Amino acid sequence: MIVRRLGWGFFLGAMVVFAVLPLYWMLVASLKAGKQQLVSGNPWWPDNFTLEHYWGLLGSASFGRLVLNTAIVTAATIVISLVASTLAAFALAYYRLPRARGIAMSLFASYLLPPGVLFLPIALMLTRLRLTNSLLALIVTYPSLVIPFGTWVLWMFFNRLPSDVLDLARAEGASPMQVLRYVVLPLSVPALAAVGLFAVAVVFNDYLYTFTLVSDPNSMTLMADVGSNLVDIDAPGPTFAEIMLGVAPVALLCAFFADTYARGFGAGVVK
Amino acid sequence: MRTSRNFWPALLLPSPALLFVVAFIAFPLGLELWFSVSSAQVGELGSFVGLANFSYLVQQATFHDALVNTFFYTVVSIGVKAALGMALAFALARPFRGRRIVYALIFLPFIFPTVTGTMAWYYLFSNVHGAINYTLMAWGLSRDGVDWLGSFGPLPMASLITVNIWHGVGLFVILLLAGLRSIPTDVLDQALVDGARSRQRFVHVILPQLRPAFALAAVLSIMGTFGDFAIIHILTNGGPANHTQTVQHMAFLVALRDGDLGVSAAIAFSLMPVYLIAVAYMLRTVVRQ
Repeated sequence: MIVRRLGWGFFLGAMVVFAVLPLYWMLVASLKAGKQQLVSGNPWWPDNFTLEHYWGLLGSASFGRLVLNTAIVTAATIVISLVASTLAAFALAYYRLPRARGIAMSLFASYLLPPGVLFLPIALMLTRLRLTNSLLALIVTYPSLVIPFGTWVLWMFFNRLPSDVLDLARAEGASPMQVLRYVVLPLSVPALAAVGLFAVAVVFNDYLYTFTLVSDPNSMTLMADVGSNLVDIDAPGPTFAEIMLGVAPVALLCAFFADTYARGFGAGVVK
Repeated sequence: MRTSRNFWPALLLPSPALLFVVAFIAFPLGLELWFSVSSAQVGELGSFVGLANFSYLVQQATFHDALVNTFFYTVVSIGVKAALGMALAFALARPFRGRRIVYALIFLPFIFPTVTGTMAWYYLFSNVHGAINYTLMAWGLSRDGVDWLGSFGPLPMASLITVNIWHGVGLFVILLLAGLRSIPTDVLDQALVDGARSRQRFVHVILPQLRPAFALAAVLSIMGTFGDFAIIHILTNGGPANHTQTVQHMAFLVALRDGDLGVSAAIAFSLMPVYLIAVAYMLRTVVRQ
């Protein structure tokens, strides 16, 4: 029993090290001084410790711009996705639209479409509309990656809400919008949080669309900035400081909501 | 919930979502379908050429390589992610001190921006001044370091798969853990106790209950791995000499480097059969309940 427990402990420990290793390395790189920081010295410890890369960022207008852009794109994606998905899922569930199941499944299937099939036409379309190189290009594209899956998750969740609660609200004379506002939404916080987190994951993990849609530094997110060829191959310290300051805290905060994420999907999708 | 006679809200409420689906999924899909059977180039819509793009593609050795690489990349990544994810979900299913932190750290790579995480891995793998080679040489395990990303042989692909697992295992963990939570605690506790009988219980009681969660994680993960662009583009760019070229990445290159939209679309659609099988499997497993 003890051996067994030690075995699991060792396994978990090894997996945590695997998960954290590149992020820890990034932190160390961001704390190293000088230009030749990668060529010499211990990669796992900042021998010539400095906070200069961080101080440099705090006064930098371009860093402020990147953080602001990232915040705007992420917040807009979350809000647009949540509103559109909730309304669509509620309509499918509440009005028992004919073929609701089929519609929800097609939405899910459309989410699974390989990005290679869609990104080119989307890029060409946004170019034609003169939307590329603006934040708007990302703000209209990202929700389209969240809404199909989000609607499906919320539809599953709404369908499993206790129907007597909803019947009672209706018997009291509540309008559909009141049922949504005062009954369905308060009961659906885990599912809504899960879809919101999913939206963050979509924005944070995208590379294809930032890569093809945005090349103007003024409309870049932090992710696009790192992805563009701005990383100085010999001195990535400033770039990694940017990530540690601008993205890592948000990612870590989201990671602590892993349980919420799981419960949101768990309640609606899994059982 | 019940049918209502007033159907206007029922039509209005889904319209924002519908707008996104039509503009960013249905319309692009139609356009891409046209590309695949046309001679479209960047800047011109081209004319109908039938299946010429596909027959051209079938003759390309690079495309065959890309198919094999994509298959290998996906199957190995998914296999390891599923196994590790299952083990991690069981390890995290019961309370212990520090569980919240361990869970968060294991989930962190999934939510950490792929570009930045992959960039860090690039520096870990680098053969000139990479952290992994530094460590190997410091411990005396290697004299000149290993060429993780640029050598011929299985190493570059293995490196890509490692990063894919690093990024994606968290999805399996959270979904399987959600599946485990839906199983009554006493059943689960008994199954977790050591012994031959519990192993049988694991196979016959626990695993079937985990099927919907597993199917969802597998389908999401398969499509994510098929469609992966960031990891391959940043680490190897398909090289050396197409050794890690995948279908998705090739579709991207052919479109943006050569400007050949027709062939690029044909490449992108070549994975549709797998996509349809994945969706059909999903329909059978998750939705049937």
